[in-house]
Amino acid sequence: MRQRSRKRMIIINRIISYILMIILAIFFLFPLLYMISVSLNPSEIDIVNQMSSIKGFIPTTISIENFKDVFDRMPFQRFLFNSVLIVGTTIIAGLIVNSMMAYGLARFSFKGRKMLVSIIVALIIIPFEAIAIPLLLITNKMGWLDSYQVQIIPFIANPLYIFLLYQFFINFPKDLEEAALIDGAGWFKIYWKIVLPLSRPVLASVAILHFLMQWGSFLWPLMVTRGYTYRPLTVAMQTFFGQAPIYWGDIMAFATMMTIPVIILFIFLQNQFVKSVATTGIK
Amino acid sequence: MKKVVSILFVLLIFLGISVFSQVEITMWFHSGRGEEREVIEDQVKRFNAMQNEVKVVAVQLPEGSYNDQVNAAALAGDLPDILDLDGPFVSNYAWAGYLRPLDEFMPSELKEDFLPSIIAQGTYNGKIYALGTFDSGLALWGNKALLEKANVRIPKNVEDAWTFTEFMDVLRRLKELPEVTYSLDLKANDRGEWYTYGLSPFFQGFGADLIDRETYMSAEGVLNGPEAVAAASWLQALFEQGFVNSNPPGYNVEFLNGEIPLEWAGHWEYPQGKGALGDDLVLIPAPKFFKHVSGMGSWAWAITTNSKNPEASWKFLEFLLKPEEIVKMSNANGAVPSRYSAIELSELYKEGGPLNIYVQQLNTIALPRPVTPGYPAITLAFQDMIGNLIRGVDVQEILDRAVRVIDQDIESNQGYPIY
Amino acid sequence: MNKAEKSRKMSYKQRGLKQALPFLLPASILLFVFLIIPFFFAFYLSFTNTRLISPIPPRFVGFSNYVRMLGDDLFGKALLNNFYFVAIVVPLQTIFALFLAILVNQKIKGSTTFRTIYFLPTVTTMVVVAVIWTFLYHPEGTINAILSFITFGNWEPIDFLSTERIAFPTIMFLSIWQGVGFQMLIFLAGLQEIPESLYEAATIDGANKWKQFIYITLPQLKNTSIFVIISTTILAFKLFDQVYIMTSGGPNYSTYTVMLHIYNQGFRMQNVGYASSLTVIFFLIILGVSLIQRILLREEREVF
Repeated sequence: MRQRSRKRMIIINRIISYILMIILAIFFLFPLLYMISVSLNPSEIDIVNQMSSIKGFIPTTISIENFKDVFDRMPFQRFLFNSVLIVGTTIIAGLIVNSMMAYGLARFSFKGRKMLVSIIVALIIIPFEAIAIPLLLITNKMGWLDSYQVQIIPFIANPLYIFLLYQFFINFPKDLEEAALIDGAGWFKIYWKIVLPLSRPVLASVAILHFLMQWGSFLWPLMVTRGYTYRPLTVAMQTFFGQAPIYWGDIMAFATMMTIPVIILFIFLQNQFVKSVATTGIK
Repeated sequence: MKKVVSILFVLLIFLGISVFSQVEITMWFHSGRGEEREVIEDQVKRFNAMQNEVKVVAVQLPEGSYNDQVNAAALAGDLPDILDLDGPFVSNYAWAGYLRPLDEFMPSELKEDFLPSIIAQGTYNGKIYALGTFDSGLALWGNKALLEKANVRIPKNVEDAWTFTEFMDVLRRLKELPEVTYSLDLKANDRGEWYTYGLSPFFQGFGADLIDRETYMSAEGVLNGPEAVAAASWLQALFEQGFVNSNPPGYNVEFLNGEIPLEWAGHWEYPQGKGALGDDLVLIPAPKFFKHVSGMGSWAWAITTNSKNPEASWKFLEFLLKPEEIVKMSNANGAVPSRYSAIELSELYKEGGPLNIYVQQLNTIALPRPVTPGYPAITLAFQDMIGNLIRGVDVQEILDRAVRVIDQDIESNQGYPIY
Repeated sequence: MNKAEKSRKMSYKQRGLKQALPFLLPASILLFVFLIIPFFFAFYLSFTNTRLISPIPPRFVGFSNYVRMLGDDLFGKALLNNFYFVAIVVPLQTIFALFLAILVNQKIKGSTTFRTIYFLPTVTTMVVVAVIWTFLYHPEGTINAILSFITFGNWEPIDFLSTERIAFPTIMFLSIWQGVGFQMLIFLAGLQEIPESLYEAATIDGANKWKQFIYITLPQLKNTSIFVIISTTILAFKLFDQVYIMTSGGPNYSTYTVMLHIYNQGFRMQNVGYASSLTVIFFLIILGVSLIQRILLREEREVF
């Protein structure tokens, strides 16, 4: 008897969970689906007239007209290439540099180590916008304006990622490293051959965080790039807002092309990512 | 055979030398509307093809943040040879020393051929720093069918423009039409320079202004005096009483659709309006308030002090400013040709042409936005004020704030002394 | 002392600065050149009247930028708005994230799919998110239509982003929509770390689900929560993209934030000196708030 009521409880619980989860899924998906739907609607007049009814959600005629417009108006593929190159290079260099620093702080004892960790923690708080102008003056002195490196090098080292990796390394068992040391391996070899491979999950999390930040970066590339050559997607998208007449169809087509690849990438990597967060210092 | 080879050889050397001695010029321009961009791209291509002394490399920057980007480049000493600037910003760049005066290149007969508005806008401290291939026209676009249905008079030229009371009567009558949602579109959703360009003439129509044009040292009493309060309250009432949509869903969809019969906009609406409304599209002069005022000013070309080849840069500008080239641009974007000799060539603008009203306005009632290095701050303060005005914030409060911001900027620039 | 022990001691001694330097140097140099120097440069600029573009040479003005800040009512307003945003968004987003995490942590079919869906907004760039929601929030737009549908037509359409009291909560709403997925994942990770045996023991003791949540889940998630709260707070203080794109700080400065003020002063008004002084003060405020949070929450974590 008790068993049965318990079973019923579980089923009810499950039904409520599903209902909740579905409602929430609609809540999170709806705006994104709307974006795609508007991007497929070739008629600007229909988009504006139907935005207040459910009709607007399902375009009567589906076409890739707006996507064509985007390519007609600007070399989208060039911006995509730039964004991928900039973000990719920053992340890979960032993983190496930041994890080295974190390892150096976690595994070596020297005077001023705690001080250095405190400085890293304090640096996390400095918002980028706050240093944008001085940084512009400095990178200009270096002759870096309008280039890839000006969008990459200043963003490789990041105190937040150093701190996250540091927290991971400090809780990471030392036994393997000790053993390797006894075998006479050098510190760099230990870091490269033992520590990094074992830290894959935390590196993945940091890489994703870094990706989200860099992919959306807008203010800085706006200030340091001029022509199409080095410009990333975000700034190119700004052209669509700044350039009247503002057509929702074109804007949403651009937004869709900017968003979908990332979503697909994430869906492929998400299991890895969730596992990695579980083993990271961020929790 | 030998002869042929040697001729080819000489030819090759000749070509090689001519390619080698070519001067490369960089040019930045704002990414305007499609037609405008295409004409500029085509002009650059043709210019590069027709001669081999100067090669122009054109770079397009997004319009929304054009000034931010030019500022960043100016700061970095990284400006191109040629750039285009929105007219009222020219003084600021000239004051900062980034622009090269064009007077040395301009014979007086060329200078006299330009519309006075173009010269006024491009002149700072007695020197000309920028020249546009076109000026802008700001007036009302009307839907003839709806206006006739509402039984209102359609003015044909600047002299018989609607008066203030007539204009208000027109708005009321139009609103009564069943198919009409709002009487007038003021493009309240087009934030940015439009607010200053498009809406400050209403303030000037009431006798207010953005700054004291005698001294350019303060906006006190000018932008927050009784005239300004009256203008702002009137404008706010238009939104509150439902004559104007404070947040239109699209850019011009409702006008093209026939839901809004009047649109306060510039020449750039011409190609699209003509396409959608055909012969029902009418150009109506700016209404005559207590003063009769309309706007003007547009993008103009300048040569920077950074340019190592000002002569070569001028050569390209000279090409852009040829009457035939001006007309090509004007036909594409509907803008007012900047030279009288070009206006004569233009089907749209010559006497009796469908857009001739703009020329009349520019000759009589158009007022430039304040020609002062302090303009960037003035326009930001004004835009901010309009944003709040549309959203129903207390009029005196927002006008006072705008005046404070403008005056503070002038003070922190030590009154913009001439350097 | 045998050989192995000897080498271990040796290696321990060797773990000094000399060995650490190659690891520390690359990041340290980068941070120094591209973060610390610009930061102190901003500090220096705050004592000058430097302008972005001006033929007038900059000069030292002492503390006058800081004095000016005292009379700057917009800075005050912006700062209050930032605190308002933090006060609403941080608790709501944290609770919502925890709720989502618990929901998808159940061992039922499809929970991974839902987890992925909830995370998608986070993957979408804020620039894009702001544009989509501007469209949805329009007075003639979808959200008004939905509200009208739910209330059987009794809903008066409102212009969310143009109404003074409503604009900021509206932006808070989409900020939570975009940001909550990330915290959900962090909580999820925290939940999965809690040993199953604790719950088993509690079930045997007869504790119900709610009691288990209060006495096991919450205390076990303490460090996770602290991380979530502090990082959300810092992010909330940096609020910029949404308000810049959607309202420019209006109507009547009800969505105006300190970052927007710094941007307006530094770039648009070209007042680099004053913007730098705002930056310095703002940095100190955020630093203070996160220190207070750290002390109040008494993070039980070995940082060093």
